[in-house]
Amino acid sequence: MLNYVWLGLVVIGILTAAGRDLYESIENVYGNNRSFPVHVEDRNGVDEWTAWCTADELRQKFAGIEDADTTRFRLSFSRQSPTAGLLYPESGAPAILLTVQEAFGNDGSIPCRVISDSNRADLLYVSFSPIRFVYLKRITNAALDAAALAVKIALGLIGIMALWLGVMKVAEEAGIITIIARAVRPVTTRLFSDIPDDHPAIGAMIMNISANMLGLGNAATPFGLKAMEELNKLNKHAGTASNAMVTFLALNTSCVTLVPATAIAVRAASGSSDPAVIIGTTFLTSLTATVFAVIFAKVFQRLSVFRVRERKAS
Amino acid sequence: MSILREIVTIISVLAIPGLILFFLVYGQFKRVRVYEAVVEGGKEGFTIAVKIIPYLVAMLVGIAIFRASGAMDFLIAGLQPLTDLIGFPAEAMPMALMRPLSGSGSLGIMSEILKTYGPDSFIGVLTSTLMGSTETTFYVIAVYFGAVNVRNTRHALPTGLLADFVSFLAALFFVKLLFF
Repeated sequence: MLNYVWLGLVVIGILTAAGRDLYESIENVYGNNRSFPVHVEDRNGVDEWTAWCTADELRQKFAGIEDADTTRFRLSFSRQSPTAGLLYPESGAPAILLTVQEAFGNDGSIPCRVISDSNRADLLYVSFSPIRFVYLKRITNAALDAAALAVKIALGLIGIMALWLGVMKVAEEAGIITIIARAVRPVTTRLFSDIPDDHPAIGAMIMNISANMLGLGNAATPFGLKAMEELNKLNKHAGTASNAMVTFLALNTSCVTLVPATAIAVRAASGSSDPAVIIGTTFLTSLTATVFAVIFAKVFQRLSVFRVRERKAS
Repeated sequence: MSILREIVTIISVLAIPGLILFFLVYGQFKRVRVYEAVVEGGKEGFTIAVKIIPYLVAMLVGIAIFRASGAMDFLIAGLQPLTDLIGFPAEAMPMALMRPLSGSGSLGIMSEILKTYGPDSFIGVLTSTLMGSTETTFYVIAVYFGAVNVRNTRHALPTGLLADFVSFLAALFFVKLLFF
């Protein structure tokens, strides 16, 4: 299943991007080979000018701008030769100019060709070099960035993992993990029928779920990965998820949440009068989801599509 | 309710220092050489983190391509009749679809929605509840299964996604029931 969903994400993503680029080039959304007027306001330096333009005028180039608007928005213009310069949209510029800015991907400057109006010294006609493949470039950059980010996230886990796995080791040797596992036996024997009662996996899972409940994501991950390792020791089919692993993940992703720490922090930052008001709804929602998650896991594990297949020796 | 909230907040602050203190002191009491055990156990941290890398790269790249292509806009438009049917507000749809895919992405969408509609509006509370009550399913699957080299995840994804779907409906139900 994950196989096809992942393939779907990649294929749909690339085809959508290609389709959008094709559409944009047919519609000439970026007005390639068209120009628009810019009013030079202040030649405060020899080559650094401030300028303005209206959305109405911008439409001479970008046909897609919808609302007629005569409010001015500001631009800075840096002249490099009599026929060329760099344009910098300032805050409040229409979205399409920002997309153009992104497409050129420089330091925020848009390289442009300039034709001065022979009658009016304060009027320039500006055009850009053709813009194509905005979306394909975007997904390429996104893919490369994501690959780098993945490594960064994984390496960032090292420290926190080392700390908590170390503390876990003490707990294991002192027998705390076994004590925790015994304490919750009535629940876990039903949820994880194929795991021995006082197996360390149970202790690690309980600690993972408790940490998640309290919104302690940093501590939860090491406990969870430790639990997965212990579950894997009981797994008869290496490389394939066991029923217990999937049930644990179902508990984990839908986890009952007492303190939605991140959500509360974002609410506080955006000026909520009562950031913590969501504690009640979050608790009830996650409790419902957890109950259903366990039911789904238990039902699906019996379906023939998801049955463990023996790997053929190649 | 507010006392309960206070207690829960205090517990979440005390949990980590308290846990470390309890484990180490109890360990010492049980004659465990605590420093040696911490170092010994910590060694694994590096190998696990490195094992995760290829899984996380594949997952994040797939999701990044999907997101950057803007395919989600079409998906939202396509699902519109269905969401109208169950009364799920269209404004919160980007959040519902992004939540299982990307933690940072859904955080961005949440901030955007709170800015546009206000944190205490119906849409704002619903979005915050969605953010708080589910995990990033795809990320958890990549990391947790990556750590033990499991490539065939069987029913993990359908279970996770269906549970996410249940939490959207539950969030809608409870937010309407309790506040609006």
